[in-house]
Amino acid sequence: MRSGEEIVSSVIKRAAVICLPLVLLAVLGPPGCKTAPPPDPQSQLIAKGRDIFFNETFAGNGRTCGTCHPAENNFTIDPAFIATLPKDNPLFVAEFNPALKENFENPALMREFGLIQENLDGFDDLKNKFVMRGVPHVLGLRTSVASPGGPRTGWSGDGAPGDGSLRSFAVGAVIQHFTKTLNRVPGIDFRLPTDDELNALEAFQLSLGRQQDLVLPLRLKGTVPKRGQAIFLDNSLGKCNLCHVNAGATANLGGGSLGNANFNTGVEDLPDQPARLTTQTVPRDDGFRTPGDGTFNVPPLVEAADSGPFFHNNAIETIEGAVAFYDGEAFNNSPAGLTLKQADPRGVGIELDGTQIVAIAAFLRVINTLENIRQSIMLLETSLSVSSPEERKRLLENAVSETADSIRVLEGGGLHPDAVARLRDARRMAEKAVQSLFFNRKHTEAAIRDQKKARAVLVE
Amino acid sequence: MNVRNFVVGVVGMSALLLGGQPPASAQKMTEQFIPIGQSPGLSGKATVIGKLQSVNAQEKTCAVAGPTGALNVRVTERTKIWLDRSNLQQPNLKGTFADLRPGATVEVKPESQQRGVSSAPAEWIKVQVAASP
Repeated sequence: MRSGEEIVSSVIKRAAVICLPLVLLAVLGPPGCKTAPPPDPQSQLIAKGRDIFFNETFAGNGRTCGTCHPAENNFTIDPAFIATLPKDNPLFVAEFNPALKENFENPALMREFGLIQENLDGFDDLKNKFVMRGVPHVLGLRTSVASPGGPRTGWSGDGAPGDGSLRSFAVGAVIQHFTKTLNRVPGIDFRLPTDDELNALEAFQLSLGRQQDLVLPLRLKGTVPKRGQAIFLDNSLGKCNLCHVNAGATANLGGGSLGNANFNTGVEDLPDQPARLTTQTVPRDDGFRTPGDGTFNVPPLVEAADSGPFFHNNAIETIEGAVAFYDGEAFNNSPAGLTLKQADPRGVGIELDGTQIVAIAAFLRVINTLENIRQSIMLLETSLSVSSPEERKRLLENAVSETADSIRVLEGGGLHPDAVARLRDARRMAEKAVQSLFFNRKHTEAAIRDQKKARAVLVE
Repeated sequence: MNVRNFVVGVVGMSALLLGGQPPASAQKMTEQFIPIGQSPGLSGKATVIGKLQSVNAQEKTCAVAGPTGALNVRVTERTKIWLDRSNLQQPNLKGTFADLRPGATVEVKPESQQRGVSSAPAEWIKVQVAASP
């Protein structure tokens, strides 16, 4: 018979035998599990920029950059997304902060049409001098900001103070949108971003989305999207590629790239613009410069299909409608439309029929989906190599969100149901990966395989 | 589309894009609220900060004593003048030529962004408003 001391000693030994491997496992990680290398300085800068973008209020009214550019909604906002936000979301600060009740936002136009108030022509007459604009996404900026005339930011290209660069953009955004009162006094109503913060914000924004333009034509498999691409690239029919080279944001009229260019395409002359159908005041937006010249800069098209409504004033809800705009009177009588007409041997600007409009839109839906698939695969693959569970969850959730976009974009055009089925599988696997503690890798790898199968349906 | 028509189009579109416009920069009107010396990417690089030496109301010109010498500035109809009251914790205001007084501290952004030029039309001028004695 063992003594009490022997029993205690035996229990301790057994406990040590059981616990030691667990402790070692916790400290060293499971066998075969690679430790992620320390992030490089650029990755650290981007991570810092991400944190500032989504969390920093700059001592203002509570808004962050992410308030209007949420990652889960393609870095833009639209009425459907806005409708999901709680009443106390800082986007609605004009509804609950008495100092911002007048002449800061128009809550009715914000909620119904996703429009934001901006004082692009100065702050001396806030009641009458303003424009109402949608929120552009901030994807693919590396491909879209540069132009020979200097950097182009925002809808009209002149969105930034200082040197007009993307780096400086945040300063103007804080002054316009983050202020506690309409006095806009730095140090009281907000603080201005530091140089380090501007560097980090710029690095983060440049890291978002595509880092280079497509090279068209793609070897598309779908009959209608393939025809849409051909019309898009045909300089005597669709003429789209003149101003949206490779479906990006740069123009090339035959004499070399003009970078991100400005055009007056007559959007402001559209009849029955939604916001102007209301009783609200919506002044004419004169675009670039003060006073404006009526021009707006070219947005990239790859990201278009899942980031509507379209144009600077959210005038058109669907991608088909946005393509159809170029077949209409407003465009064809605009300075840009008249120039196209002058250059055309038949004397027409852009003249398309219904089937052709839908075909171009189908092409835009497919290239948007291909970009979403690219992003999803990148997010899923990255999630396999990160050590932080929170970061892995963030990446997987973003992949789920991108995949949901892919499904919505294809279904919206009645395109590629077989690809949609694969994408549904991919989303299910990514959702399982988010939830799973032990089979995370297996589900993630399955999601990647399904994404690749979906892509193979769309393009050779 | 024949070559001639295309060339006409290209020239027309290029004129539409580029005709007569100075380089695009610093148009955003939030510049009004940025204190002297803090304009991102411009202050210390493409602006001159100094005291107003002289003002000529008839010619609509003024001279600024900058760190590298005097800059003669022409105020045009495009020039924005702002009163920087941030030191007083008051909102900055739109100003006029009459606010340009010798001895005032100003920051001048020449239109052309050329550093070292001795005379230039101004894109904007910020005038520091001092506290009353």
